[in-house]
Amino acid sequence: MSRKLRTCLEIEADLVAAATGDAEPGTVRRVEHHIDACAPCRGEFRRYREIDGVVGALRRAPAAAESVARAREGLESRLADLKSRLVSYRVFPSPLGHILIARSELGVSLVEYLGEHTDLGASRLSRVTGVDPQEDGAEIEALYRELLEYLRGDRTRLEWPLDLRLARSDFHRSVLQATAAIPYGAVTSYAGIATEIGKPAATRAVAQALRWNPLPIVVPCHRIIGTSGALTGYAGSQIGLKQRLLAVEGVRAVGTRNDSRVARNTLYHYDRNDQREYCLPTCGDIARRPIGPVTLLASRELAGALGLVPCTACRPDLHPLTV
Amino acid sequence: MGVQPFETIVGAHHAEIYRYIRRVTSRATEAEDLSQETFLRAYRAYRTLGPEANVRAWLFAIATNLTRNHFRSEKRRRTAHLAASVEGRETDPEGPEDEARFREAKALLESTVRGLPLKQRLAFILRKIHDLDYEAIGRSLDCSAESARAHVFQALRKVRLSLNGHALPPETSPTNMEQPR
Repeated sequence: MSRKLRTCLEIEADLVAAATGDAEPGTVRRVEHHIDACAPCRGEFRRYREIDGVVGALRRAPAAAESVARAREGLESRLADLKSRLVSYRVFPSPLGHILIARSELGVSLVEYLGEHTDLGASRLSRVTGVDPQEDGAEIEALYRELLEYLRGDRTRLEWPLDLRLARSDFHRSVLQATAAIPYGAVTSYAGIATEIGKPAATRAVAQALRWNPLPIVVPCHRIIGTSGALTGYAGSQIGLKQRLLAVEGVRAVGTRNDSRVARNTLYHYDRNDQREYCLPTCGDIARRPIGPVTLLASRELAGALGLVPCTACRPDLHPLTV
Repeated sequence: MGVQPFETIVGAHHAEIYRYIRRVTSRATEAEDLSQETFLRAYRAYRTLGPEANVRAWLFAIATNLTRNHFRSEKRRRTAHLAASVEGRETDPEGPEDEARFREAKALLESTVRGLPLKQRLAFILRKIHDLDYEAIGRSLDCSAESARAHVFQALRKVRLSLNGHALPPETSPTNMEQPR
């Protein structure tokens, strides 16, 4: 080995590559040519071929199936744990300020108004235990695009799979589920939701639950107002946001910032009745009845979509509201 | 997203990644932990993978990276070198004499590989055992494909030296230059 010719030294790496099946055809030909004339290198070549045979045996040696299975089992359990904790999120600009959208394996778990803030530290995601937040892109980008379409009024539904694990209790979850069922352009009250979930006395608890709605806009708590028509609260005290979201759906509000209420005279009314009839706000005393039992509707199309028919007395079909 | 479900990725590659790390670390518990960690990291990032990505090479890169970090501790490196478990006792060649010689050579090869500097060891195992191309090995080891090739060459030279004087069963005739895979 130590008395090798220069040509032998130069070709050594190629010789090893060729002998171990790791060389291009051109290199193989060059090596072949060399070892035809050089006996020591021919011996080296043969030796590396033999070594390659032993390496091949190593490659074919199976790992103990038991230890592979044990490692796999451990992996499945650690993966399940990670999946249950992992939440990917991103913060986006929007006409309503910065919005954080987060989703887990199960679905969208958080939509949060961050106002001027853009960092995770401002989000409740950073304070929830048992959650592993991770900034992520593509998937959430698609949700964001849909949200912008919604806010522009170009989309009336956000058909996202939801993960309600950030809800604080079963009661909280049932409030969110009932709220999610209120259609685009319809308005009901906290008392209405309380009745809907079979707890008619729990109006205040419903309002409190919606104050902590982890999925505003998607679970449309902006469609839930006071029985009198007052907008009451939204995402803390951001009534302005509620007003804007309702306006997108064709539900107008009037009044001052501290005392704004939906303009009932611009909305169709549906008070539960056997005929499933909806009315003009001028039909009898319907505009004075509490919201909750009465549902407000932004359009006749919505009433139709809900399977309602025009009232035979006030005939909203003949006298549509002009706003 | 455009990538296959993660469960499919686990099913297709877990055993091989485990074997890879097991061979590099020589310890079942470390291999278990590091292979699991590889897939947990992969799970966090796999949504960002393009549909054209080479998932296998990507997993090897994560595994290699984790393994290298693991070995950064000098103490661990020493214990890994000391751990000399010889696994796999299946028979390859035909005759009983060949068999014994082969087993011996294989054990010697394994211990030589375990004693290689980490980069050479990783490059050798990635190329010779798992058949990764040099581009992928380079990406795993943060070096060029050429450097990766050089690592494998150096590893083979050391293996050749360590097997000096050991009779090995002839693999194929020296004029047969076809790739032995």
